[in-house]
Amino acid sequence: MMTRFITALTILLLGMGTVQAFNLDINKLIDAGKSASDLKPVDEKGEAEIGNTAAAGILGAAPLVKDEKLQAYINQVGLWLALQTERPDLPWRFGVMDSDSVNAFAAPGGYVFITRGLLLRMHSEAELAGVLAHEISHVLKRHHLNAIQKNAQVGLVTNLMSAFSNDNGTLTGEAKKKLISVSSELYARGLDKDDEFEADKMGVVIAARAGYDPYGLPAVLQTLEAMNAQDSSLALMFKTHPTPQKRLELLDGLMTGTMDRYASQLLVADRFEKVVGTYARSGH
Amino acid sequence: MKRFSILLALLLLPLLVYGGEAAQTLIKTDLKQEPFADAKIIATLDASTAVEVIKRQGGWMQVKPATGAEGWVKMTTIKIGGPGAAAKGDTGMTSLWNVASQGRSGNTGVTVATGVRGLSPEDMKNAKPAPDEVKKLDNYAASKSQAESSASKAKLASQKVDYLAEAKSAGGKK
Repeated sequence: MMTRFITALTILLLGMGTVQAFNLDINKLIDAGKSASDLKPVDEKGEAEIGNTAAAGILGAAPLVKDEKLQAYINQVGLWLALQTERPDLPWRFGVMDSDSVNAFAAPGGYVFITRGLLLRMHSEAELAGVLAHEISHVLKRHHLNAIQKNAQVGLVTNLMSAFSNDNGTLTGEAKKKLISVSSELYARGLDKDDEFEADKMGVVIAARAGYDPYGLPAVLQTLEAMNAQDSSLALMFKTHPTPQKRLELLDGLMTGTMDRYASQLLVADRFEKVVGTYARSGH
Repeated sequence: MKRFSILLALLLLPLLVYGGEAAQTLIKTDLKQEPFADAKIIATLDASTAVEVIKRQGGWMQVKPATGAEGWVKMTTIKIGGPGAAAKGDTGMTSLWNVASQGRSGNTGVTVATGVRGLSPEDMKNAKPAPDEVKKLDNYAASKSQAESSASKAKLASQKVDYLAEAKSAGGKK
């Protein structure tokens, strides 16, 4: 393994003259030999700082809806779901974004966002719970955190490690800039498909734990499937996720026989219609 | 007068938000009396039969065919959207929003292109960080007791459910 690595490195060094090319390719080599789980874990303080930066980028693309009742509602539903998981004590923060695009996002450390465009297309709190639980699962499994670490250059990772390993450490300006760029590229490109499928599988279970009909997430996927794939409000979602049809098929197969027994759990459609309907009627 | 007609439109929109969404069967499908696999079959619908969705429960949709009685079909046997017509995706509360924000019903077939706040891959890549928006989240955050009381108001009870086995390296509930 080691000999091979050195041989490959030598070939690269001979083939490419510039230091920059060397830097880029040594990352690829390291990535190829290491799975994300081999990365030295960032502690919760580091995760919070990375998450804060990522969240600022997401909300920079579209701000929060200015409606306290709606935002309080989504935080109550979201935290209730998060309390059913292995990371109940993270500082969970949920928000509805002022955008007509159809999407939802998670950021490390407990940030979860959903766009107005997606929220308004739902029919019940069970559907909202399904989507929030999917995003919560990305946080639980540190999908974005691992991807950011994996995509960052060695220099940034080292900097993050040392910044977070001492008590008063903060990111240097250069490292912060790099983190912003790595993170925003990740959100424009999306996670690996397997991470999305994993979040789907976990999300339906978390919704069931919280007392909801776990078919809320499949129902949302069915709604998305019905939309015109050329609709510009879907561009980012379709670019960054497997097709709704594929996700629905996988969930359908997994849930039959395992989640059926929870299928008669609550939809909480009344409260959803009241809160989200009141917001929708306000029109802003 | 315009205001009045908007108000009227709002009032006339069905309260049951799934109510009346058009759909069609993807394959030849049994229409069941209840949302269970072993429930009585009341009719068999051909592929591409137009139906109206009444509601959903679990993996089942209660639908009404143009002719005949309503019943339940497996969710995956239907596609939302009318036959042939391009689906507009105006589901859920979308028409309420469209009426209120643009003064016109989402059912008119008019697509309003102006004022749509998008979120494209380029928007994500080029976004200027908004740390102040992140700070605002603290004002909206729920406490544990608020979340629990809100759940209990909706009669939601928590229970132990194991992650699905296929989820890689997923542990049980702590």
